[in-house]
Amino acid sequence: MNKIRQSIYTICFAIILGLVCATLLTVAAEFTRPRQEENKKAEEIRNILSALKVPFDMETGPAGLIEIFERNVTEQVAGQGEPLTIYAYKPEGSDEVKAVAVRFAGPGLWAPIKGFLALEPDYKTIRGLSFYEQEETPGLGGEIVTQSFRDQFTGKQIADEQGQWGIDIVAGGTDATGVHEIAGITGATITCDKVEEMINVIIEALASKRDAYEQ
Amino acid sequence: MSNNSSCMTCGSGGLCGGKGLVTLKEGVWTSNPLAIQVLGICSALAVTNKLSNSLVMGAALLFVCVGSNLFVSLLRKHIPHRIRMIVEVAIIATFVILFNEFLKAYYWEMSKQLGPYVGLIITNCIVMGRAEAFALQNPPLVSIVDGVANGIGYGVPLAIIGFLRELFGAGQVALFGWTLELGSWYTPNQLMVLAPGAFFVFGVLIAIFNVLKGDDTEEGN
Repeated sequence: MNKIRQSIYTICFAIILGLVCATLLTVAAEFTRPRQEENKKAEEIRNILSALKVPFDMETGPAGLIEIFERNVTEQVAGQGEPLTIYAYKPEGSDEVKAVAVRFAGPGLWAPIKGFLALEPDYKTIRGLSFYEQEETPGLGGEIVTQSFRDQFTGKQIADEQGQWGIDIVAGGTDATGVHEIAGITGATITCDKVEEMINVIIEALASKRDAYEQ
Repeated sequence: MSNNSSCMTCGSGGLCGGKGLVTLKEGVWTSNPLAIQVLGICSALAVTNKLSNSLVMGAALLFVCVGSNLFVSLLRKHIPHRIRMIVEVAIIATFVILFNEFLKAYYWEMSKQLGPYVGLIITNCIVMGRAEAFALQNPPLVSIVDGVANGIGYGVPLAIIGFLRELFGAGQVALFGWTLELGSWYTPNQLMVLAPGAFFVFGVLIAIFNVLKGDDTEEGN
């Protein structure tokens, strides 16, 4: 009898503790959610802007970023079928498109990777690349966010010499001399392969909708 | 250590049961969790490439350790023995998640830099160890002191490592808009920024701690 009472006590204790902890965390999450969402949105915008190479101050707060975004970038949905949103950079007051960006996403090694690929107005030359969400291994796959890795993309083509769509992230340490080749990160082969794959998916999507944005 | 267990500030019958100062000294110095017990070094090696990261990580551990120690101590007579570890982890996890949510909302940049390491405090052996070894047996106030002591004992060495790694790895230390620069004669050493740099600095720090503390640990063995 005593044993049963003890077990009931243990179960009740666990339930009450669980409820108290869960309530506390729910309240905290609810309370901080508006600010967290604002930060997330700002992070996304900061990434679009930096991929497009829109000049802005890195210290700008969320509200300022949204303002810069709205003044310089217009969103347009291209083509039929699967909609593809293209972010076009038209510097304030001008009508000339200076760059375009598309969002890419896909599975990484541990968690989803999301980012933006920006192209020059010719829709062929890469202008910039940025990642706004990734949880790759710090020091290995996590190195994809470094400036030195991302800068390699700038100036590369999204098709090879024969006109075949897609980029190629080659093994780290080798010469990435081809117009569509980027040197990968040693020790992060899986991450690099997955990044290549998700970027190529978006390049394919862009290519299939070429007539939609080309006059 | 048992021969000087009288509390110098509040006397042996005082608020903290005469153990306050001893507990503080043990956590910060004689049983320093990082340099003497060599616990919780995964996070210590991972986040110490910058002074600011180290300080926030130290603050996080202090907050969690004080909070979990207090609540484990308050509940120590009611926690069913068989599930006590699960209860401890639940309390620790609650505090860690609270801190993480706060960082994400108000210090986004910092939260991004620390990445998963704030969340991993849940599995930090220092916090769990203090709850299990101290808070379960001691009253709330002295448990708070123990939490503070271990928070400092973790945070200060972390800040020292962070300071040295940032100084020699980047050539300058930046904190709250204030910078200390080594000057153009110094070529930043990349090694200090990478993980092995933490091992070197940490090893030297353990050696210095042990020399300063004297060799009474050898006798203990």
